[in-house]
Amino acid sequence: MRNTDEYPISTTEEREAVVATAGAAPEEDWVIVTRGLKREYDMGGEVVRALRGVDLAIRRNEYVAIMGPSGSGKSTLMNLIGCLDTPNDGEYWLNGQLVSAMSDDQLARVRNKEIGFVFQTFNLLPRATALHNVELPLVYAGVPGEERRRRAEEALERVQLGARMLHKPNELSGGQRQRVAIARALVNRPSILLADEPTGNLDSTTSEEIMKVFEELADQGQTVIMVTHEPDIAAHARRVIVLRDGVIASDDKRSAFTQKVGL
Amino acid sequence: MRIVDRLGQNLTIALDTLRAGKIRSALTILGVVIGVATVMAMAAIVQGIREQIVHTIEIAGPTTFYVIRYFSSTPVNPNRLPRDAKNRPDLIPEEAQRIASLPEIGYSAIWAQVFGRVEYQGIRTQQMTFMAADDRYTEIQGGELLEGRWFTRAELKSGTPVAVIDHDVARKLFGQANPLDKTVRLGGRPARVIGIYAPPENIFAPQGQQVGAIIPFLFADHAFVIDKINALFIAVKPRPGVTVAEAQDAVTVAMREIRALRPGQRNTFDMITQDQILDTFNKLTGVFFLVMIVLSGVALMVGGIGVMAIMMVSVTSRTREIGVRKALGATNADILLQFLVEASTLTGVGGIIGIIVGLGSGKLVTLAMSIQASPPLGLTLVAVGVSVGIGIAFGLLPAMRAARLDPIEALRYE
Repeated sequence: MRNTDEYPISTTEEREAVVATAGAAPEEDWVIVTRGLKREYDMGGEVVRALRGVDLAIRRNEYVAIMGPSGSGKSTLMNLIGCLDTPNDGEYWLNGQLVSAMSDDQLARVRNKEIGFVFQTFNLLPRATALHNVELPLVYAGVPGEERRRRAEEALERVQLGARMLHKPNELSGGQRQRVAIARALVNRPSILLADEPTGNLDSTTSEEIMKVFEELADQGQTVIMVTHEPDIAAHARRVIVLRDGVIASDDKRSAFTQKVGL
Repeated sequence: MRIVDRLGQNLTIALDTLRAGKIRSALTILGVVIGVATVMAMAAIVQGIREQIVHTIEIAGPTTFYVIRYFSSTPVNPNRLPRDAKNRPDLIPEEAQRIASLPEIGYSAIWAQVFGRVEYQGIRTQQMTFMAADDRYTEIQGGELLEGRWFTRAELKSGTPVAVIDHDVARKLFGQANPLDKTVRLGGRPARVIGIYAPPENIFAPQGQQVGAIIPFLFADHAFVIDKINALFIAVKPRPGVTVAEAQDAVTVAMREIRALRPGQRNTFDMITQDQILDTFNKLTGVFFLVMIVLSGVALMVGGIGVMAIMMVSVTSRTREIGVRKALGATNADILLQFLVEASTLTGVGGIIGIIVGLGSGKLVTLAMSIQASPPLGLTLVAVGVSVGIGIAFGLLPAMRAARLDPIEALRYE
């Protein structure tokens, strides 16, 4: 039994959640629990230890920012949380499922059902309309055509793009493109919205606009996890986790974080 | 349902991609188009010719067969005959008469083909065939007498220079005027027109072999030089109820008797049945087809390799898209399917264009040959299948490469 004091995470409750999750599903309230998550890469014979045992517990409806300098392992952690990669060691529970032990096809299914991705570069299909882009996750979920269209329209209306559904990405502004991407992320009603530097390609005004969308979604009960290196963007989240050298260096509620960075 | 929907989605994506790179797509599928078009054109032509032959045989009655000095599937140079055939005697009218008297035989007569133009008052037709036969020619070969009369017994016996001419020839030479009792020149020899006949519809008659006139055998024998190896034969039609095999047996016995062949000596004549004619044609076209299939196979291979190359490029240039799709929940199988559908759509479209081009050019050729081309429906389906198959076979490698991409790497790809 490891000492709970080894876990540098914010509250006792979260520490207990991680400890309690040894080989058994966490309680329903915890949408993400990782325990001793490790990821190593073999870079031409040299082993790079990107994550060296990350313990993390995130409740439903939380709005979390993950920060850290480059090389801190935040991208690796994001890939693991996003089920694009699997850990070398440790457990990752997402919405009650032990993702760390899944096959490629199972992971694809989990990505489709549980995770909504928002990328820095939007990553929309350039020759498809906004509507078709948003429909894409539903295509892979096997949702029939009519329902697919209806749900995609709903999602676009949720991000105030109801009027631009049939536009192609190159007919939309950067902020609109990112909102299409958000609609696409939401359309399958995922457990978590996972955003990787969502404002990295946007000017500050548009960034604020997108942050407002995230805030609204969080208010509506959507779990949001955002990876960023910008403190003022991270400050929008209600909890900020900072990674350093492959481990969690700090885990603060917003008030504590804003004080720390002097915002 | 799900698979159908998924295929439909992929087909839309594939067609979209094709539209986006029209010229690239067109060049890629050129090989497939050429390959399919060649086979389709050839098949349409050969099928057309074959139907004409079958039709002709049906008119002549499938039981009619021919006794000939030496049977070869191609015309033979008289100086290059095998030794055995060179020593064979020529067929003579008496042999035909003897065969005609057999109880198994309904009709038998010696026929020959001679060639030349029909000429009247300076108007000439092209080179044509004159059938040297008798008054019962149309019973065997089909067609009917429109005006005038057939040869009399006396005309046949003496080889009187009279002729029953084809109605098209008559129209060309005489227009509205009455050709009967006029003297035309057949290959330069004068002959009096006594009748006009119409050949059966659709009879297979390539240019230069169209029958322009029917003349008494002895007239031809006196006035023309008959190629006794290739163009002299005895037409035999069994009596109703007698099989071809029985009739051939009877003819063989009679011919051996006439020629006084001892047991053990080989026949000094050959017989051709309609089946054999069809067989010969099938053998010839079979070889022809084989060559065409090999050639179009090469074109299809080239096309397939083109598709493979273009799909490789497509996978590389769309690495990012593949990453996004995987992030959104596409499985490896989904990505594989997407690229296979894309490749097979590419070649499938090529195949359809090839079919259209092939059948179109086949139609043109057959129109020029004035026979009817029949689009071979079965082959059309096979062609579509083969083209789609080429797409799947050559698209497999690029599609597998796409399916195996690591989503993280793919998303990071610039």
